[in-house]
Amino acid sequence: MSKNKIEPFLLDVQKPSRYTGGEVGEIIKNKSKIDVRFAFCFPDIYDIGMSHLGMKILYSLTNQYENYWCERVFAPWVDMENIMRREHILLYALESGDPVKDFDFIGFTLQYEMSYTNILNMLDLAGVPVLQKDRGEQLAPLVIAGGPCACNPEPLADFFDLFILGEGEEVNLELLDLYKNMKDSGATRSEFLKKACQIEGIYVPSLYEVNYHEDGTVKEILPHENAPKIIKKRIIKNLNQCYYPEQIVIPFIEPIHDRISIEVLRGCIRGCRFCQAGFLYRPFREKSAELICQQGIALCKNSGYDELSLSSLSTSDHSQMEKILDNLLEYTEQEHVNLSLPSLRIDNFSKSVLEKITKIRKSGLTFAPEAGAQRLRNVINKNITEEEIFNTCQIAFAGGYTTVKLYFMMGLPTETDEDITGIAELAQKIVNLFYDMPERSKGKLQVSISTATFVPKPFTPFEFEPQATKEEILRKQKILKKAIKSKKIKISTHVSEVSQMEAVLARGDRRLCAVIYDAWKSGCHMDSWDEFFDAQKWHEAFRKNNLSPEFYANRTRNYDEIMPWSHLDYFISRKFLIHENQKAHQEQITKSCREYCAGCGANQSLGRACF
Amino acid sequence: MKDYRIVFEKKNNMKYISHLDLNRCMLRAVRRSGLPAWYTEGFHPHLYLMFPLALSLGIESICEVMDLRLTKEIPEQEILEKLNSALPNGLHAICVREPDKQTQDITSAEYSLELYAPEILDLHACWLEFFNQPEILTQKRTKKGMREINIKSCIQVEKISMKDNRLNLMLRLPAGNDGNINIGIVIDAFKNYAGKPILINYLCRTKIFCRNYEEFL
Repeated sequence: MSKNKIEPFLLDVQKPSRYTGGEVGEIIKNKSKIDVRFAFCFPDIYDIGMSHLGMKILYSLTNQYENYWCERVFAPWVDMENIMRREHILLYALESGDPVKDFDFIGFTLQYEMSYTNILNMLDLAGVPVLQKDRGEQLAPLVIAGGPCACNPEPLADFFDLFILGEGEEVNLELLDLYKNMKDSGATRSEFLKKACQIEGIYVPSLYEVNYHEDGTVKEILPHENAPKIIKKRIIKNLNQCYYPEQIVIPFIEPIHDRISIEVLRGCIRGCRFCQAGFLYRPFREKSAELICQQGIALCKNSGYDELSLSSLSTSDHSQMEKILDNLLEYTEQEHVNLSLPSLRIDNFSKSVLEKITKIRKSGLTFAPEAGAQRLRNVINKNITEEEIFNTCQIAFAGGYTTVKLYFMMGLPTETDEDITGIAELAQKIVNLFYDMPERSKGKLQVSISTATFVPKPFTPFEFEPQATKEEILRKQKILKKAIKSKKIKISTHVSEVSQMEAVLARGDRRLCAVIYDAWKSGCHMDSWDEFFDAQKWHEAFRKNNLSPEFYANRTRNYDEIMPWSHLDYFISRKFLIHENQKAHQEQITKSCREYCAGCGANQSLGRACF
Repeated sequence: MKDYRIVFEKKNNMKYISHLDLNRCMLRAVRRSGLPAWYTEGFHPHLYLMFPLALSLGIESICEVMDLRLTKEIPEQEILEKLNSALPNGLHAICVREPDKQTQDITSAEYSLELYAPEILDLHACWLEFFNQPEILTQKRTKKGMREINIKSCIQVEKISMKDNRLNLMLRLPAGNDGNINIGIVIDAFKNYAGKPILINYLCRTKIFCRNYEEFL
């Protein structure tokens, strides 16, 4: 047991309870009665991973089955990593304390591109060969991954046995069942992978050959060994019949989101053209109001949490939102639970909803107009008008709010300098609005602007678009800072070097495996932490492999280019993406799915119309 | 409305839970337990829990105290059962007391520890040498930064013995509002003096005292 070996060093590291397990809600089983052991790995530290809803769902779901045991694994923080390497302590799972390398499955969730080097680092800490080809013919451990970034897993193809596309609630169990049967019959790794690739939603990268044109673009993707030509993602058709946990593991230390989350819907009706999640998680499916309330109340009771969050890409798009709030507030007020509603949209932020939220807690208002000018908002299909923003602010200011946070992106397709100064103008208008209101609250107004660099992602209408260069972003940041006149407006910008690497990895191909490997070998890890990201080392890794980040980040793709992910089907048709891209350049908007079906193709997964 | 003083153990892995985390953990445990907790009546009502004496990270205890206010009287046995069913392994409520003594009256705490030093021949003699210095100077973190203090007069040795090369100590140190000495800085001072590695096999808070050597519990 690796966990015992760590004990003498626990007082030498920050937040030692990251490494002990033993939390309320943790699931301990008798391992002699277990057929399949699954190590669910989150490629970042405990504090972040323990906030991840998907892990909570799949952890509890797998453990519903008596003969399967799913345990949690997180990346150790650097202080603990140094001790583990110095003392030769292998990465272990928190529940049993057993080394991860002895598990049947080592499953990673791919939440963001900048966690990729952490995956290699965790495999290395676990004593598992980092490259798939070095793991030999023994069946276990199988190194697998799922999550949103699995939509283009090509930069990780060399490290994984298989990827799971789409939602995991059904396919994970099918995979475990197949494994159990084949383990009993003494199958080898490649025998298992050949069978596994026939399960819908399972992609085995080693069964595909990728060839390239001389210019570096993909020429063809060839399946071998009867592997399917196209791999379709999996979805859960009916959320009301889908498993949801009634108890979660409750961490001792405070994770970034310290609360109960109830998923109220999947997918999004909005179709913002930059938003990958809005397309990846289609089709739009709601959970019923009754079930949401029932699950929320059960989780509050079982966990003792005093904050409940209704989570989704756009919670206010639930058709029964008022009913849900009414029913839940009755419980939460009585039991002293805070109800929080992230992901509210400006345009349907009604007065009655606002009143219901303010009953519970007065925090700041956060809006994401994403672009400063209406023209550009049309381009990205963020269908919010200035008028709607002002109306909402007016309601909020009258209700006592005094802080407004505004999120914007920079480097969007077709963006001009006027669009950038438009950000400052919009913020200024909000400041003016506040001081023009006779009934405003007495507090001090603060409008914060936060800008991020736009990263084009696969399966969005902007997958063809180049990312703005670092120089261009820096120039625009200067323009914006100059355009801000009021002291009530605060601005925070972000270094764009991480964003460039994110853009590279998001739309990368298999040749990047070597780059990621070399970057990690030269010391890159925890890349999403500013203090660790080392652009120099990444650029060196590119040079070593005769590749350039610009080819991946800053190049325009033709509509007929074969993308590295062209063999993966997320039920978003190429024809739709091209059409949406054209409409973007014509500054035309597309209505929400509820108003009008734009024909993205997601309804094929349902076998019926979405609405 | 009735106040209860809960005495609980904090053992094994729970010694790695900080005071702040313990507070959040207990809040949730009380909420899960189904006990009729009393909430403050301000704009943001919160559950009323009070810990008179914080315990540093890495120390076990058999005498931790938590004051809890309930909306009505509940039999002590029921409080213990409900609370214990909601607590994680390592935290265990031992008994319920009347909160008769004031927490401000706490003056000292007793610790039991076992030390082991593979490179020191006679750890007992080494301790006596250390303890018989005219002054024991060490660094203490204060609000104004690190400060050097003499802790010699603060340490009371109640028991000392050697068994199987291990030094067993029972120490009493100031605790409470009028001054607090963390057992950790005493051990660190000893380690510094010895100049060789000293391992802690066991470290546990065992008793809390008020003025006049009266036990707090």
